[in-house]
Amino acid sequence: MIRRWILPFLIGCGVAYGAWQGTLLATPFALMHAAMTKIGARGPENQFAFGELATAANQPIVRPSPDLLYSTCVFDVSKGPLLVDVEPIPGAYWSVSVFDARTDVASIQSDRDTGGKSARLLLHRNDFKGKFTPGYTRVPLNYSKGILLIRMLLTDQSQFGEVDAIRRKARCRPA
Amino acid sequence: MKSWHRYAICITLGLVGGAGYAVSQIRGNFAENQIRNGPWRVNTNQGTASATVLTRAKVALNGLLALPAKEAMYYLATVDSEGKPLNGRCTYTLRGEEFDARWWSLTLYQGEGWLVPNKANKYSVGSGSLIKAESKPAQWIITVGPDIPEELNGFIPTGGVPKFDLTLRVYHPQGVLLNDPVKAKLPTIKRERCS
Repeated sequence: MIRRWILPFLIGCGVAYGAWQGTLLATPFALMHAAMTKIGARGPENQFAFGELATAANQPIVRPSPDLLYSTCVFDVSKGPLLVDVEPIPGAYWSVSVFDARTDVASIQSDRDTGGKSARLLLHRNDFKGKFTPGYTRVPLNYSKGILLIRMLLTDQSQFGEVDAIRRKARCRPA
Repeated sequence: MKSWHRYAICITLGLVGGAGYAVSQIRGNFAENQIRNGPWRVNTNQGTASATVLTRAKVALNGLLALPAKEAMYYLATVDSEGKPLNGRCTYTLRGEEFDARWWSLTLYQGEGWLVPNKANKYSVGSGSLIKAESKPAQWIITVGPDIPEELNGFIPTGGVPKFDLTLRVYHPQGVLLNDPVKAKLPTIKRERCS
């Protein structure tokens, strides 16, 4: 009787291991997809959307910082590279980060890295064979889709107008 | 029982058990398996390709779009300095010193990381708006509690929620803060009173 269960049991153990690893591996993709869908509803793909400050009533993603102004570009480089230009905020912290579909950071540049100058990025699939636009830092991606996120620090709420005007100069567009 | 019944039972149990165990791990205590320093916990490999599958899944659930450690460190406290869970009906005093970093902020969350509604619409305190300790000018104080005072500087409301956590974001960390977070001098969290 027990011998009849040995093979099904061993196969069940293998399936359990596969389901365990599969769930762990799939979770970041699933949560990123959900975030891209939610954030992507704010505006067209491959264009920036400029969010309001995070409050209890405005929390597009988990654990938002209420001290930062977020701007997002949900991107898809499957049809070709994407050019990104970010204007600097004088004397304040800002950064632009590129997250791929697996949630890994493909690139991060802050005012420390650019020396206070603007950030210019070229996002492309790592197997892209075409011509690259000069003057842009290349960001090769393992996955076509992801989220580009600009963080700009507001040490004082009264700075909102000034910082908001600068961040709206940011561009995210097909090359 | 037919042979295929045995296979169907074992495969179904395997699928449910394996996936269920993964979900329980992902939804488990976010502070588990992190570097510990007093009441604070920190990950140093979030957002990087070297993160384990479990770390990546946990960060995706609890802090999607988190930056790598060289850009920002995210210290998380779910307990006070005596190890008791943070309770929104209690008032806490945090005392710390300036960090070797560009800037920092402390934010209060509930659940998986949601800002807590409160009458003051205040959710964080940043390094630019600190109250210095009178006896030790190099030290800063932040109060966290359910009763909103008139002076909001250096105060974060808990909204009276039964359970909350504190996230200390430190941008452009340097020295031990980045390289040896176990030895970094982090704020103490003292429970003062509960209502």
